[in-house]
Amino acid sequence: MSWIGKIRRVGRIVEPADEAPEATAAPPTGVTGSLQLRHVDCGSCNGCELEISGAFSSVYDAERFGARVVASPRHADGLLATGVVTRNMQQPLFNTLNSIPEPRVVIAVGDCAINGGAFAKGYGVVGSVADVIPVDVEVPGCPPTPQQIITALRTVTGR
Amino acid sequence: MTTALDDSPTAPVLDEDLRTARRARGQAILSGGLTAALGVVGTALGLSAIFGEPRHLRIGWLLPLVGVIFDLGPLGGFFVAATGAVSIAVGIYAVGYAQREHWARFPLVMLPLFVAAMLLVPAAGSVTTFLLAWELMAAASLVLVLSEHNREAVRSAGAFYAVMTQLGFAAILLALVVLSAAGGDAFATIAAHTGGISSGTRTAVFLLTLMGFGSKAGLLPLHAWLPRAHPEAPSPVSALMSAAMVNMGIYGFIRIDLQILGPGPHWWGLTLMIFGSVSAVFGVLQASVSTDLKRLLAYSTTENMGLITLALGTATLLSSYGAQQVAAMAMTAALLLILSHAAFKTLGFLAAGSVLAATGLRDLDKLGGLARRMPGTTVMFGIAALGASGLPLGAGFVGEWLLLQSLIHSPHGDNTLLALMMPLSVGAVALTTGLGIAAMVKAFGVGFLARPRSAAAEAAREAPASMLTGMTLAAAACAVFAVAPVLFGPVLKQVLAALPTVGGDAAGPALGGFLRLPGIAGSMAPGLIAVALVIAVLLALGLGRWGARHRPDAVVVPLWACGADSLSSKMQYTATSFAEPLQRVFDNVLQPETDVEVTHFAESQYLVEKVTYKTLLADPVEQRLYAPVVRAVTSWAQWVRRAHPGSVHLYLAYGALGLLIVLVIAR
Repeated sequence: MSWIGKIRRVGRIVEPADEAPEATAAPPTGVTGSLQLRHVDCGSCNGCELEISGAFSSVYDAERFGARVVASPRHADGLLATGVVTRNMQQPLFNTLNSIPEPRVVIAVGDCAINGGAFAKGYGVVGSVADVIPVDVEVPGCPPTPQQIITALRTVTGR
Repeated sequence: MTTALDDSPTAPVLDEDLRTARRARGQAILSGGLTAALGVVGTALGLSAIFGEPRHLRIGWLLPLVGVIFDLGPLGGFFVAATGAVSIAVGIYAVGYAQREHWARFPLVMLPLFVAAMLLVPAAGSVTTFLLAWELMAAASLVLVLSEHNREAVRSAGAFYAVMTQLGFAAILLALVVLSAAGGDAFATIAAHTGGISSGTRTAVFLLTLMGFGSKAGLLPLHAWLPRAHPEAPSPVSALMSAAMVNMGIYGFIRIDLQILGPGPHWWGLTLMIFGSVSAVFGVLQASVSTDLKRLLAYSTTENMGLITLALGTATLLSSYGAQQVAAMAMTAALLLILSHAAFKTLGFLAAGSVLAATGLRDLDKLGGLARRMPGTTVMFGIAALGASGLPLGAGFVGEWLLLQSLIHSPHGDNTLLALMMPLSVGAVALTTGLGIAAMVKAFGVGFLARPRSAAAEAAREAPASMLTGMTLAAAACAVFAVAPVLFGPVLKQVLAALPTVGGDAAGPALGGFLRLPGIAGSMAPGLIAVALVIAVLLALGLGRWGARHRPDAVVVPLWACGADSLSSKMQYTATSFAEPLQRVFDNVLQPETDVEVTHFAESQYLVEKVTYKTLLADPVEQRLYAPVVRAVTSWAQWVRRAHPGSVHLYLAYGALGLLIVLVIAR
C-alpha cells in the first residue's frame, strides 16, 4: 500500500492559491464552499471556454474552492455565461436561467459578456449578458486567465 | 314486420355484425380454452410422471408394424410440464388476442394441435413415435407461422423455417435410424443395450443430433430461421415457439445423447460448450443491436438456448472427468434455466404481442410512451426484461448464478482442457449477461418509457382482460423463479436422479431458502435479497418523507429541454442510438452497413438542409455461410433440372431403371 503513503506525502500539486478575496456576492445556497454552476456559451469565440476548462483542470483546480460545473441547470446554483448574446442564443439563455432554482447567481466571464468586447454591435448580436439578464459577478479579460476566473469564483464560494 | 324494418333499417346489419362478433368470440374462447386445457392436462401428467411411477402406453394399431409407444419418465415429464405451463398462459392470452387480431379459423384450429404435438414429443417412448410427434410439431408450427401469409416477410420467413426445420428433421431421422438399427425401436430397449453400440455409431448419432436438435434450439450456425420465424409468427405462437418448442431441441440432446448414449467422451461436452457459448454471445450481441422488439426477443432465445447448452456441456465434460458433484450443479443450472427462460420468454412475447396488437408496431424506434397508455403491459414486459437480463430478482438470475458457480468451482487439478475451458466460459457468460442487460434496458426503456415516437404509439390502448390474465400467470411464474426457486427443488431433484450420466447420482445443490452448494463454500438466498430490497426501498421512502417534512411545497416548472422551448420526442434516445456504441465496439462481428448522407443548401455548403442516416444490420453468419450454400444448391438444382424435360416416356424409363437397380441390389 505504498501508493497511499505516496499520495499522502506528495499532497496536491496545483498552482498555489492567493489569499481569499473579498466577497462580492453571498453564496446563493447560504453555504460556503459549494457553488454548482451551469455554463452557457451565448456566442463566445471559445477563448473563455478554454480558460474555464483550464480553471477546472488539475493545474488550477477550481474545485478545491468549492466551485463545480454541472450538466443540468436543475442541479445548479448559478449561471456561468460567456460571450456576447447572439440572437439565436437569447431564448436559450432565458430558458436556462429560468431553469436554475432561486436564489441564484449570474457570473459573466470575459469582456464580450460584460460589454460586447470585440463583437459589440456586430451582426446578429443582441448585446452583452448584462443587457439581457441581471449579472451579479463580472470577470473582465479577453480572455480572463484561469487565476482571474478562480479569484472571481472564490468571491462567491467564500473560500 | 315492415314497420320494424322501417323503424330501424340498419338493424339487420348490426345484428349480422353482432352475430359475427359473437361467433368469433366463441371460436376464440373454444380455441384458447382448448389450448389452456391441454396445458393443464400436460402439466398434471408431467408432474405425476416426475413424482409418481413412469407412465407407459402402447397403441399397437395406430402405426403398422411398430405401433405408437409413449413412455413418460421424470425427464419427459419435466418437459411436458414446462410445455403445459406455457400453454396455459398462452391459451388464456389467445382468447383476447385472436378476437383483437381477427384470427381466421385455421390458426384457431392449429393452436391447440400445435400444443398437443409439442406435448407428445417428450412423451414419445420409441424412435418412430418420436419422429412422428416431431414432424407433427414442425408442421403445425409452420402452418401457424404462415397465418399472416399475405405479408411478404412472413412468406420468406416461412420458407426459411420450412427448409431449415426439414433439414434438421432429416438429420434427426438419420441419427435415430442409425441408433435404432444398433439398438431397437423403443428408447427403453436402446438404453438397455447401449453396451453393444460401437463408438463410431455413437459419434455419428451425436454429430447428427447436434445438427438436428441444434437447429431446433436455434444454436449457431443453424439459428437463421429463429430470428425470422419467431417475429413474423402471431405473438401467442411466437411465445409457444420461443418458450416451449426450442426446448424440444434441448430435450433431444438430453434424452438421446446424455441419457441414452451417455456418459459421452470428453469432446462431446467440449463441443456442446463451444456451440453453447458462441450461440449465447452471438445471440445477445444481435439482440443488443436489434431495433425490432420481437426480433430482439427471438435473438435472446438463441442466447438463452446457448447458455443452457453451455450448462449441458459443462455437466457432460465435468461428469466425464468424474467431478459428479459440480456436474450435478451445472445440470441443475440447465434445468432451472430451461424453466425460467420458458417463463420470461412467454411473458416477453405475450407483452410484445399486446404492444403489436395495440399499435401495429414492432419497431422500437417508433414506440415509446406506453407506460402511461398501457400500464399493465408495461409492468409485464418489465418483469420479463428483468428476468431476461439475469439480474437479482429476475427470473433468470438463480440459473445463471448456478451456472457461473459450477464453472468457477470446477475442479481442474492439472487438466489443461478444464483449466482453459472453464475461465473462457465464465467470460462468455459474463459478456452474455452484460450485453443482455443492455439489450433489455433498450427494449424496455426505449419501447415503453418516455414519450411516444409515432401517432400509432400515442393512440395505444391497454390490452383486454384475458390477455392481461395470461400475462399475469407468466409473471407470477417469473416471480417464483426470482424469489422462491425452493419450490422447484423437489422437481429438479427427481429429474436429476433420472440422469445418472451427468452427475445425477451425486447430491445436487440444495434449493432451500438458502441455496447451498454441496462441497463448496457458496450460498445465496434469493428470497432474502428480495426482502432486503423491499426493506431498503421502504426505508428510503420513509427517510425521504421525514427529511422533506419542512420543505416548501413543490413548484411546477416547465421541463428542461436543453435550452430549447419545449421537449419533443425526437430529442429522445432511440433504439438505434442507444445501441450505436455497442455496434461500434463490435463492428468486426456485426459488420453493419451504415450510410450517412448530408444534403447542403444550394446557397452555402456550411448550412445543412438534411442528414439521412441509414444502417443495415444483416446477420453476418447468415450472409457468410448461407448465401454460398443457397447459391450452390440452386446451381446444382438447375443442373438436375436438365433431367426433367417433361417427357412421360423418359420418366417411365427412369422408374423402370430405378426398379431394376433395386432388384439387382436386393436380389
